[in-house]
Amino acid sequence: MHALIINGSPRVKKYSNTDKILSKFTEGMAGSGSTFEQYEISDRLQWEKIRKAFSENENILIALPLYVENIPGLLLEFLSTVEPRNGEAQMSFILQSGFAEGCQLRCGEAYLEKLAGRLGCSYGGTLVKGDNFSIRLFEGEQREKVTGRYTAMGRIYGRDGNFSDPACKAFTGPEVFPLPIRLLVGLMMKTLAKRGFDKAAKGWGCERPLGDRPYAVR
Amino acid sequence: MILIVNTTENTKITDEIRIELESRGEDFEIVEASSMKISHCIGCNYCWLKTPGICTIKDDYEIILKKMVTAGQLWVISDTALGFLDYKGKNIFDRVMPLITMYLKFKGKQMRHVLRYKNIMNIGLIYRGDGDREYLKRWNERCALNFGSKSLGVFPEEEVKEAAVCMH
Repeated sequence: MHALIINGSPRVKKYSNTDKILSKFTEGMAGSGSTFEQYEISDRLQWEKIRKAFSENENILIALPLYVENIPGLLLEFLSTVEPRNGEAQMSFILQSGFAEGCQLRCGEAYLEKLAGRLGCSYGGTLVKGDNFSIRLFEGEQREKVTGRYTAMGRIYGRDGNFSDPACKAFTGPEVFPLPIRLLVGLMMKTLAKRGFDKAAKGWGCERPLGDRPYAVR
Repeated sequence: MILIVNTTENTKITDEIRIELESRGEDFEIVEASSMKISHCIGCNYCWLKTPGICTIKDDYEIILKKMVTAGQLWVISDTALGFLDYKGKNIFDRVMPLITMYLKFKGKQMRHVLRYKNIMNIGLIYRGDGDREYLKRWNERCALNFGSKSLGVFPEEEVKEAAVCMH
């Protein structure tokens, strides 16, 4: 199986969490004997090539970060320029986000199924998974722990050409966290996670509190 | 204040809204954004982690962002593409990230970002063309959750009068 893979993140490839996910995912695809070609939406110079590849490939996989409950504006701009297919291609998606619970991605997932139809393609399903914000902040083993889990999913996609396997559904994790976990995580957000974000910000050269209100009317 | 951002080139809609809101003495501002220079969000996260509350992209969006800080209602008027808002309309939403902070909390059963400002901004949509209204309603309700606010409704342009009734 050969797939066209489009990284739909507007973030440049070097800093793209989606690209780091795809790197592990395609390892799995290769392991099952599949091949792929990958393009980046963030690079407008690639758009003409992607349009051509979109018109020629039977298996199209778009990986994207959730932006305000749906697809990023830049990806929407690009997809508005492609010629819809005539039902001979299949579109599948990898939808990832910062928020960890599955319920946070369902509104975006619902649109992706509609999108495949609008673009004249059958729908091969969406691999839904959150809790990916830290990919950019982590390196080495910590990053591997977050991205490495996508390799097994790539193996399945390479084998089946879609995400209908029950393992892909289960990959999302909990729709919402149970109350004890919410209480524990809520406490961590006020303490450990907050300090972690403050530390990361200092590393980025931030000189103001993260809760600063630069446009507040005084 | 009611903030109305029109990302379409059709100013007849905003003319109609203006006449209605002026007749009622409402506090409102209309931004004709179709000719403004507004980029997509590039996902750099600087507005959360490097320059809190300030977008790194220096374009006309800052004009809108500053108005949002005091707006009680945001209405976005957008063309549609692929059943959804077109990219110009979506970019207005994607670029709101400076209004929320990196910090997280649970609201009900779901995680949310902590808002940067105390202002609560309810959200309404007016769309032109082939939009999937039921989906847009669902999407707008989800958007409002992120602002700790509520959806004011989703209206095709033919129902602009009904939308104007909700502007107060």
